[in-house]
Amino acid sequence: MKRFLVLTLLAGLCALAFASTAPAAPPADVGWEFPLSGPYGAYAEEMKRGVEMAVDEWNAKGGVLGKPVKVLVRDSELKADVALRRMKEYVDSGINIIGGNLSGGISMVINQWANKNKVLYMSTCHNSLGQGKDWGYYGFTTGIKSYMTGAALADFAFEKLGKKWMVIAADYRWGHDQVAAFLYKSKQVGGEFLGAIYTPIGTRDFSAYVPQILAKKPDFLVLSVFGSDLVSAIKQFGELGLSQRVKLALPKTAMPIMKECGASYNENVYGAATWYWTLYKKYPNAKPFVDSYTKKFGRPPDADADSGYVGAYTLFMAMEKAGTRTDVAKIIPALEGLKWNLNHGPEEFRKCDHVRTQTVVILQGLGTKAKGWDQAKVIAEVPPSKTMLPCDVDRADTVYGPIRDHLPGK
Amino acid sequence: MELSWEIILMQVIMGLALGAIYVLLASGLSIIFGLLDVLNFAHGTFYMLGAYAMFTAISLCGNFWVGLVAAVVIVSLIGGLFEITLLKRLYGTDQIYPLLLCFGLGIFIPDIIKMAFGLIGKVVDYPAMLQGATFVGNLILPKYRIFLVVLMALVLLALYVFMKKTSIGMIIRAATRDRLMVNCLGINVSRVWTVGFMLGIGLAALAGAVAAPMVQTIPNMGDEMTVEAFVVVVIGGLGSLGGAALGGLILGQVVSFVSLLAPDWSNVSIFLTMALILVLRPRGLFGEEGRD
Amino acid sequence: MSAKQKTQETTSYKPYSWQAILEFRAMWVVLALGLVLPFVISKPLATEIMVYALFALAFNLLLGHTGIISFGHAGYLGAGAYAGAMVVYYGGVGVWVSLLAAMAGGTLVAVLIGLLAVKRKGAYFAMISLAIAQMLYFLALSPFKRWTDGEDSLKLPPLSVDFPFHIDLSDQLSLYYFVFVIVALAVLAQWRILSSPFGHALKGIRENEDRIRACGFDITRIKFLSIIYSGLFSGLAGGLLAIYLGAASITILFWMTSGIVVMQTVLGGTHTFMGPFIGTAVFLYLRNNISNYTDRWEMWVGAMFMALILLFPEGIWGTIVQKIGERRRPSAS
Repeated sequence: MKRFLVLTLLAGLCALAFASTAPAAPPADVGWEFPLSGPYGAYAEEMKRGVEMAVDEWNAKGGVLGKPVKVLVRDSELKADVALRRMKEYVDSGINIIGGNLSGGISMVINQWANKNKVLYMSTCHNSLGQGKDWGYYGFTTGIKSYMTGAALADFAFEKLGKKWMVIAADYRWGHDQVAAFLYKSKQVGGEFLGAIYTPIGTRDFSAYVPQILAKKPDFLVLSVFGSDLVSAIKQFGELGLSQRVKLALPKTAMPIMKECGASYNENVYGAATWYWTLYKKYPNAKPFVDSYTKKFGRPPDADADSGYVGAYTLFMAMEKAGTRTDVAKIIPALEGLKWNLNHGPEEFRKCDHVRTQTVVILQGLGTKAKGWDQAKVIAEVPPSKTMLPCDVDRADTVYGPIRDHLPGK
Repeated sequence: MELSWEIILMQVIMGLALGAIYVLLASGLSIIFGLLDVLNFAHGTFYMLGAYAMFTAISLCGNFWVGLVAAVVIVSLIGGLFEITLLKRLYGTDQIYPLLLCFGLGIFIPDIIKMAFGLIGKVVDYPAMLQGATFVGNLILPKYRIFLVVLMALVLLALYVFMKKTSIGMIIRAATRDRLMVNCLGINVSRVWTVGFMLGIGLAALAGAVAAPMVQTIPNMGDEMTVEAFVVVVIGGLGSLGGAALGGLILGQVVSFVSLLAPDWSNVSIFLTMALILVLRPRGLFGEEGRD
Repeated sequence: MSAKQKTQETTSYKPYSWQAILEFRAMWVVLALGLVLPFVISKPLATEIMVYALFALAFNLLLGHTGIISFGHAGYLGAGAYAGAMVVYYGGVGVWVSLLAAMAGGTLVAVLIGLLAVKRKGAYFAMISLAIAQMLYFLALSPFKRWTDGEDSLKLPPLSVDFPFHIDLSDQLSLYYFVFVIVALAVLAQWRILSSPFGHALKGIRENEDRIRACGFDITRIKFLSIIYSGLFSGLAGGLLAIYLGAASITILFWMTSGIVVMQTVLGGTHTFMGPFIGTAVFLYLRNNISNYTDRWEMWVGAMFMALILLFPEGIWGTIVQKIGERRRPSAS
């Protein structure tokens, strides 16, 4: 028994010694996390690369405030507990600027925690951080407000695709946000709503819905699902001849989606995204980013890479402007007044809700004409003035909130 | 919503096609379990490998049918290799160890595929002759789905003939019942196990290969399939091939109709079906006494 | 101690075998180390190790001590987390009530799985428990989304404990010690259960079910009880997890959670008491660190796990105990 006591004591002493030598300086300027393993790895990798590109770019020109910047990137595994642990560990080690994430839900958990602990959080995904009671002073969004892509696509669709519409929506907050956006716009322009189907996340078979959709003959079908659900849906609608007869409107699309659908991603598929790489033709500032990304990784960047890149880039700009790398109280005001012109023309973080003023891009599929990474063409751009609601409206959630609470078919 | 007879009929066909995938997957699982007493937790992973092998073969030779055969052959060879080199060492130990080894393999392989093929999924196209649908009035008859049902029927028939008529099938059935006795008769049971394991894996690979055109083909695509294959096997009765077939077809119909009538419950429905059947028939539909 | 051992040898079972004494000491050493753990590794990781260690111990009540292969433990943990979080979110109750609710939640799921599957053995039980747990995942994800918030996680307000004295749980160190004390008490409780005659009946079932039945025990009842105990402690772990996270998240219910607890337990050693605890600590620490170096860490975890199964099926602590046993054998006989 004595031996064990001694051993315990020794171990304890070792531990304390170890603890007292813990480094005082934070190990990095910004701590990022993305779900690098798991089903969304492809998107997470894009974001991570975007962040690394920004770091390389700044360090090539001398770093921030004369010193090279350092970031850490960790895997959040698409799990709330792991995501939160990573963030807590960052803060534990002295980092108080964190960023990343790919799921709106996890993003919100992190945001809530960051605001409780006065840590600056830069979210990189489509989320609802700026809406309702979830808003907090310490949260920023370099992605987009969820409803904005839906609203932009709705604007486009009711003008170009027709008035009669149906929707298949993933049964969670993001999916509902899109339906609310379409319902709102539909009412404004006199669209004819033919019905909604809500599918749980992880639905693999969408063929069950084809007969009723064909029977109702909508002009377009809103497919408010993402990831493997979206790919399965598009492939099956292609197989069953639906996407040859009805146009598909995707509130969120991405390059992996187009790639994984192959020829099923045809000319009748219209998707919204926050950015697309061919935009460098219109915004020359994006050219170096697209070029060096393509050179480094063998393919052009996707919108998620842009989110990561701009998120990291603007943080560094704000640090430079505020004259500090760690003082969140100074960096946040610097971010609020920040304006930049990078990949997508002049943008800023709206002061009242810290959301990036993104222009939404509408992309049309190319089907069999797609070549290499040229998977879609930009056919419209919807500026934030047409999609973003005023902050007080968002905070009170008076436009979309009531619609979302009483969704038809729920 | 009105349920016209066309919609009901279409739903039945979709359900059959969906069931076909379940049947292929679960019969493989059932053979492996019946013969080796190994619960193959990597079954979904082999399903995924089937899809990727299919993609590789098609991009090399450009033909769907060659791809199909190649996928089954390649993946069952991988399965055989795994069985001979690793799994075989654990026979005769506690049932949990082979199970855990398969579980470990199921975590290991997707990352290998990610490194080899990248994180973005791959596309397997429908063969030209099976593309599109035939329209009979308002009725859509998708060719590929009908092909799936036919394929399933053929595979089941072939399995039946193989098990009942060939000598190796007979040995497999005998070894499923009583491996010690078969061993005593001077038959190399070890080789029979390998054959049986490869057969089961081949069926999983076939399921993955034919499912590939319809779903997202990514390294994680098998994650949930293992669980669903378990459900089918539990419904049908452990180790019973006929049970796996019937279980798969039932689940196909359940998912198809629940998706239509109450989409919220589509994922839950298969588990509820299982629970219901367990309450009514604790051993599953075709489960035998003593094998629980 | 040796005198005590001698008297015990004359009775029908040996509650104080050398292995039990070793485990008993190991338990105190591990708990003592737990006191300083948050100074050695990061506080969140330490907290998570404690929570998941309790979960693994609860899981091992079935696998290691009763010989039931369960793959449905995500269901117990998740039910605990959601029950605990929901009473706080909707009922506004305190942390202690939340933990009680969590235990009730875990127990409820255990009863459900027990009723459906207690008579099934081996792989059959594994499949049924897995399927039921996965059903809970999908239920929480979609049909019950109204109450669980589905994919968005049920987020809790900042929590604190007021009884017996004030503890602010948003402070990471206080949170750790709060969790640690509860986990330590739960570990001691489990130790008590396992050294009772009931605990020995469990071991008997694992070793030879027919013989225990022949001795006149009601096997089904004992198994059912052990499933319920396992659900109770898993539910408690789930409640702690929700408090630690400040949210109940849907991923807790996903079946991979069940797989991971199996891995942690086997890594430590299923045929031991403290093995799962040690396995959890090693597993979480390694996983945390490997993933800092490579995005493809799952490959390494999978490969190492397969190697473990093939080479050291008794796990880390189990192998050590086994080696000590081998050294003792010549003198013991």
